[in-house]
Amino acid sequence: MTQPDEYQMGLSSRKAIYIPFPQAVPCSYILDMEHCLGNNPIACGKCQDVCEKQAINYDDADEVITREVGAIIVAIGLDVYDPTEMDEYGYTRYDNVITSMEFERLICAGGPTAGHFVRPGDSQRPKRIGFVQCVGSRNPKIGRPWCSNICCMNTVKDTLLLADHYPDVENVVYYQDIRAFGKSFEDMFQRSKEAGTRYVRGLPGDVEENPTNGNLLVTVENTTSGKLERHELDMLVLSVGVEPPKDLAKISGLLTLSKTSDGFLMESHPKLKPVDAPTRGVYFAGFCESPKDIKDSVCQAGAAASRAGALLNAGKITIEAITSQIDAESCTKCGVCARVCPYGAIQWKKGEVAVVIEAACAGCGACGAACQFGSITMRHFTDAQLVAQVRAIMAEKPKEKVMVFACNWCSYAGGDMAGISRIQYPATNRVMRTMCSARVSEDMVLEAFRVGAPIVLVSGCHYADCHYINANRQTVQRVQRLWNKLEKAGVRPERLQLEWISAAEGQKFAQVMKQMEELRQTVTDEEIAHAMEALKPKPKKKPKPKAEPAAAAAP
Amino acid sequence: MSPEPTNGDLRVGVFVCDCGLNIAGTVDCGAVTAYAETLPDVICAVRNKYTCADPGQNEIKTAIHKHKLNRVVVASCTPRMHEPTFRQCVLEAGLNPYLMEMANLREHCSWVHPGDREGATAKAMDLVASAVAKARLLEPQEEMEVPVTKRALVIGGGVAGIEAALELADAGHPVTLVEKEASIGGIMAQLDKTYPTMDCSI
Amino acid sequence: MATTETFRCMMCGHEYQEQVERGEDKERSCPKCRSNSIRHLRGAGKK
Repeated sequence: MTQPDEYQMGLSSRKAIYIPFPQAVPCSYILDMEHCLGNNPIACGKCQDVCEKQAINYDDADEVITREVGAIIVAIGLDVYDPTEMDEYGYTRYDNVITSMEFERLICAGGPTAGHFVRPGDSQRPKRIGFVQCVGSRNPKIGRPWCSNICCMNTVKDTLLLADHYPDVENVVYYQDIRAFGKSFEDMFQRSKEAGTRYVRGLPGDVEENPTNGNLLVTVENTTSGKLERHELDMLVLSVGVEPPKDLAKISGLLTLSKTSDGFLMESHPKLKPVDAPTRGVYFAGFCESPKDIKDSVCQAGAAASRAGALLNAGKITIEAITSQIDAESCTKCGVCARVCPYGAIQWKKGEVAVVIEAACAGCGACGAACQFGSITMRHFTDAQLVAQVRAIMAEKPKEKVMVFACNWCSYAGGDMAGISRIQYPATNRVMRTMCSARVSEDMVLEAFRVGAPIVLVSGCHYADCHYINANRQTVQRVQRLWNKLEKAGVRPERLQLEWISAAEGQKFAQVMKQMEELRQTVTDEEIAHAMEALKPKPKKKPKPKAEPAAAAAP
Repeated sequence: MSPEPTNGDLRVGVFVCDCGLNIAGTVDCGAVTAYAETLPDVICAVRNKYTCADPGQNEIKTAIHKHKLNRVVVASCTPRMHEPTFRQCVLEAGLNPYLMEMANLREHCSWVHPGDREGATAKAMDLVASAVAKARLLEPQEEMEVPVTKRALVIGGGVAGIEAALELADAGHPVTLVEKEASIGGIMAQLDKTYPTMDCSI
Repeated sequence: MATTETFRCMMCGHEYQEQVERGEDKERSCPKCRSNSIRHLRGAGKK
C-alpha cells in the first residue's frame, strides 16, 4: 500500500504506516487508517505481525481530553496558496511548472531526490529556471489583495541556493516589486544579483510548453524597458502566496475572535495591543494574525507568551462591573432572560425567580433589553442611563441628527477605525455605545423616535464575529418586531436601519453614515411629528422611566 | 425634552481635550468647554492640551479635590483606548472608577470631519451632553475577581506555537500544546534552507 | 424542510424571495445594495 507523501509535496510516496519525516516529533510510526488494509486484519495485518512490541492497535479511537486553562495562544499558522485556479502559468498542465513549496522538497537533501535538483518531467537537471512572484498575492482580482510578505525573500534565497549548488545555472525572477525590507535582506538581494540572477520587472502574460522537450516559453512585458520579451526556460517556479488557514473560522467561532478584511485574525489594537485578541486571555502568535516570516513569528510568539505569562502569574482577573443584576421583587419569573442569554449565565426554573451567575455573565445586556418588566439592571449600562443619553443627544434640533447605536466590539470599533484611517463622512450622526447591539431595547429605539430622531440605526457585529457568541440574533429579532410596530403606528419603517459593521470596516462605517445622512434628508417634519405622537407609551399601572409597550411579547 | 431635575448632590467635572491639534484642529474646543459648563450639574469644565498626559491627569485630580467632584466626563478619544487610563486617574483621586464617562471627540468626530468645523463642533457638544447625561446617573461599581487557572493552551505546533509553548514552560507555567498533524513542526519543517541566514529549517 | 420566504431591503426597497431552511440562522444582506436592513415579510418577528 503506497500513498503520495504529503511531507514531500506528493513528489514521492509513503506506506500506510509511516513516520511523517525523519525529524518528526514524536518520532513514531502512525497509521493512515483511511488507506490501511489492516483495518480488516484478514486483508493485511502485516505490520502487527512484525511489531515485536505489539504497539499496533487498529482499533485505537480518537479521545476527547478536557483541560481547564487560564490563557490561550492561537498559533494556527497558514495555508499555502494552491495555484490550480490561476492556471495561466500552466501549473496543472505542464510538468516542469512547480510551486515554491515543491522547490523546497526538490532542493532538500532529505527530499525525494536526495537534494539533486531535477525536473519532475524528465528527471533532468534544469539550467534555466524562472521564478514568478506574487502568485496568489497582491491580486485583488482573485480576492487576494494582500502581500504575503515572505515570497520575495524566499525566492532570493532559492536563487542563491541554486547558484551555490550549480554555478552554471541561469535564474530569472519575474516580479512586481521586490520587498527586501528586513535586516540583511537587501544584502541577500544584492548577492543574488551578483550571482547572476536576472530580475525582470513584470509578470508573465503567457506560458507555453514545448511538448517535445518539456521546456517552457514565457512571454513577459518588461515594464522597465517597455519591451515584450520571450524566454525559453527549463523550469518555472511559482512563488505562491499564503492565506489564512481553513481552520481559522472554527477557532475564531470557538473563541469569539474577529477577522480583518483579508481573513487573518484581528488584534485588539493594531499598534498598542498587537498580540492580544479582543477576547481577554487569548493571544496570537505567528502567521494566523498576518503574513510574517520565521523571525517575526518567533518574536510574536515570545510576546504572546509574555502576555499570557503575565496573566497566569497574576493568578486572577477582574471582571468589568458591567454584569446583569436581577431584581427578585419585580421579576415575574417568565424566564425570557434565561432563554436569550448566550452564556447560560442565568439560572431559571419555571415558577422561580431568575438568578444571574455573575462569573459567567459577560455583560452583553441581551437579557436587560429582553426583560419587559424592568427587572434587570445592566450595571454601568442601565436603561435609565442609556435613555438619558438618547434624550440628551436629541435635546436640540433632533431633526438634523441620525441616532446610531453601536456595539463596543465591532461597530463602535469600526467607527474608531474610520477615524484612525481618516475616512470622512457627514457629521450628522450621533453614536451611542452599548456593549452589544442586543442591549438596545425596543424602548430605546422608540424613545429616540419619540424625541424626534428622523433616523435610528442599530449596528452590531457580523454574525460570524458577534463578541457575545450569538447575542446579535436577538438584535435581528427585535428590529424585525420594531419594523412591524412602526408600520402599525403609521411610521415609515425604513426610518429604522440595521447594519453589521466589523471592527476592521472603517470604510463600511463611513459608507453607512453617508447612506444614513441621505436617508435622513428624505424624512419630513410631518413624519417626525407623527412618530413623536404615535409612539407615545400607553399609560401603564406604574409609570416608570422605562415604559414598555405591552404588545411585544417575546416568543 | 426637559432635562432631568437637578440633583443637588451631583457634581460633574468635564475635561475637554485638544489632543494637540488632533481634536482642536477641527473642533472648537473652547466652545465645547463653554457649552459643557451650561449642562445640568456640571460644576466645572476644563480644557486641556493633552488630557492623557501627566499634567492633564493631574488637572483632573486637582479639580476632583478642589470642586469635590463626584462624576467626571473626559471628552477626548475613544474609550476603547483610554478608558482604563482615566478610570485609574479618578481612582487615584479617590473616586470609584465607574464614575467616569468618556466622549469620543477624536476617532468619532475630529478625525472624520476635518472639513466641517461647525458640524464637528455641534456633534462634539452633543457627545459631551450625552456623556454628561450618562455620568449623572452613574453609580459606583465593584469589580469581581476571578481566579485564573494556571495552565496555558497553545493551539498549533508550528514555529510560533512551539516557541510560545517553550517560553511559557520556561517561565514555569504548565502548557498544553495541541497540533492536528502527527508531528509538530508545521510548514517550516517542510522548508529546506531559510532566509536570511541560509540555515536548515529543522 | 425549506420554505420560500419574502424579504424586503429597508434601504433600497428591493424585494426578493429566498429558500429558507428550517431553523436557518444566517447573516442577510440585500442582493442589490448589500444593506443588512433586511425585513422578513412573512412570519416577521418570529423565528
